[in-house]
Amino acid sequence: MRAVEIIEITDNCKSCDHCSSICPTGAITGKLGQKHDINHQKCINCGQCLINCPFNAIQDLNQINKVKQALDDSQKYVVVQTAPAVRVALGEEFGLAPGTSVKGKMFAALRKLGFDQVYDTEFTADLTIMEEGTELIERILRQKGPLPQFTSCCPAWIKYAEDRYPKILPYISSAKSPQQMFGAVAKTYAAQKLNVKPADMYSVSVMPCTAKKYECDRPEMIASGYQDVDVVITTRELAQMIKTAGIDFLNLAEEEADRLIGSSTGAATIFGATGGVMEAALRTAYELLSGETLGKVDFHTVRGLKPVREATVNIPIKELGQTVPVNVGIVTGLKHVDSVIVDVLAGRSKYHFIEVMNCPGGCVNGGGQPIRHD
Amino acid sequence: MSQVKGKVLKHAGQTRLMHWIHLICFVILGITGLGFYFKIITIDYIFGGIGNASVVHRWLGVVFTVGPLLYILTNFGRFSRFIDTISTFTKDDFKWLKTMGGYIPGLKGEVPPQDKYNAGQKLLGWLVIICCFLFFVTGFPMWLWRHAMPPQLLGLCYDIHFWDAVIAILAVAGHFFLAAIHPKSRVEFASMMTNGYVEAAVSAHHNEKWFATLQNDSELKA
Repeated sequence: MRAVEIIEITDNCKSCDHCSSICPTGAITGKLGQKHDINHQKCINCGQCLINCPFNAIQDLNQINKVKQALDDSQKYVVVQTAPAVRVALGEEFGLAPGTSVKGKMFAALRKLGFDQVYDTEFTADLTIMEEGTELIERILRQKGPLPQFTSCCPAWIKYAEDRYPKILPYISSAKSPQQMFGAVAKTYAAQKLNVKPADMYSVSVMPCTAKKYECDRPEMIASGYQDVDVVITTRELAQMIKTAGIDFLNLAEEEADRLIGSSTGAATIFGATGGVMEAALRTAYELLSGETLGKVDFHTVRGLKPVREATVNIPIKELGQTVPVNVGIVTGLKHVDSVIVDVLAGRSKYHFIEVMNCPGGCVNGGGQPIRHD
Repeated sequence: MSQVKGKVLKHAGQTRLMHWIHLICFVILGITGLGFYFKIITIDYIFGGIGNASVVHRWLGVVFTVGPLLYILTNFGRFSRFIDTISTFTKDDFKWLKTMGGYIPGLKGEVPPQDKYNAGQKLLGWLVIICCFLFFVTGFPMWLWRHAMPPQLLGLCYDIHFWDAVIAILAVAGHFFLAAIHPKSRVEFASMMTNGYVEAAVSAHHNEKWFATLQNDSELKA
């Protein structure tokens, strides 16, 4: 795979060697006492080393200047998407308690920063759910692909699979991540509706994740003929932009996302937590397979923080006239995924659908989130 | 100065050996530690590169810990008396501190009689014990539990270890000046670093209370 330098260890490294135990791929080299370095070929850009460095000596590729240049360019029509996990962490940068939702203030701040359209990635999280749910059904009912199906939203997981287990790739959902779906939709459907040339549209993504910076730059992500997402900034970078612009964030009036591709369901909101994609996809699959509307939408069995969890959901399949147990697995933290993959490749896996996220607890603990050392 | 003749054994052989080991370790630990913190590459090169300097620092840290522990185990009575002495602060000790034993120009006043260790040495003794304890409780986790500890705790260990070193280096520098350079007290240097004896007259003057308690004439060397 391409070696892109998203994460860097700076000269402030105290050589404490903590990061090497955090890295799920062994990409960090250096003995205790020696400045550490990152093997970018091995690095999956997750940024977990960055947010766990005791000395803030690890940095990600700062993209603020690119965003500012686009905002200052009168020829550019700049749209922005914000991931679900950003709104519950951004407030920490302004002194609010962790978990406080600042969704409305965030949309207002983005408009003050000069973005032409302010959207919510939840819109395409819903699309991802539909795609992954439908694909799962096709694999289960019509054998259109091997089982189990793995989720495809986490770019760190995708690079890990590509680097380490290329044979597992056919098992991974072919759906793009919500970020990349948004980029494609923005520069095609939205551009058409807004009467903006895709060439003039600049698509910015605010993510809790540093690996998204790598994902947006993948050469195949050009559905519109242009790079679908031009640049990704993290929650930390957005906070920095808001502070630099002198915006009184805490006193901003709440605003909504722009409607065209900004609306969403509650299923999209839970994407940022481990088990969230699975739960959302189960809701879709259940309704599509059973032909019934779910009265109770929560699947509590897939929730939790254990690194590997599993559940069985009985889904009445209208087409077959019988109820089929669907076995699902959830993995949070790539250090726990190897045995799951080995079982799948050996034909021993009991699962139909497996969600994999690199960061412990899901995207809410992503490498682009505020750094807390309290 | 007293007219007392002869010499008195102030520092036993094992005490001097422990002091030597601790001194050598402390100097090398201090040099390598400062090299790491301030990224002084020259220091690292002396030890064969930063990786080797780190190995030297860690293993000397083991010696720095085990040395005193072995001394305490094999000289428990002597150590107990040392702790007892440095823990006993009398009015004379506070008076000594007011005049700083006459070492600081401008601070006038009568210097009261002192024990085997004067009030300043007693404070230094406690400072060294506390500093060493902090080195142990931060240094070993930094090495052995670096992967298991939360980052904030690991960072705290590094901060404490560094500032502990700063305080210890300053304290030991002061100790060295008074024990080896200052004309009033430099006889201590030869005593601790060579045969352990000091002139009885010097001891009678600087450690009057302790000298008066010496019952065993065999400790006096003619």
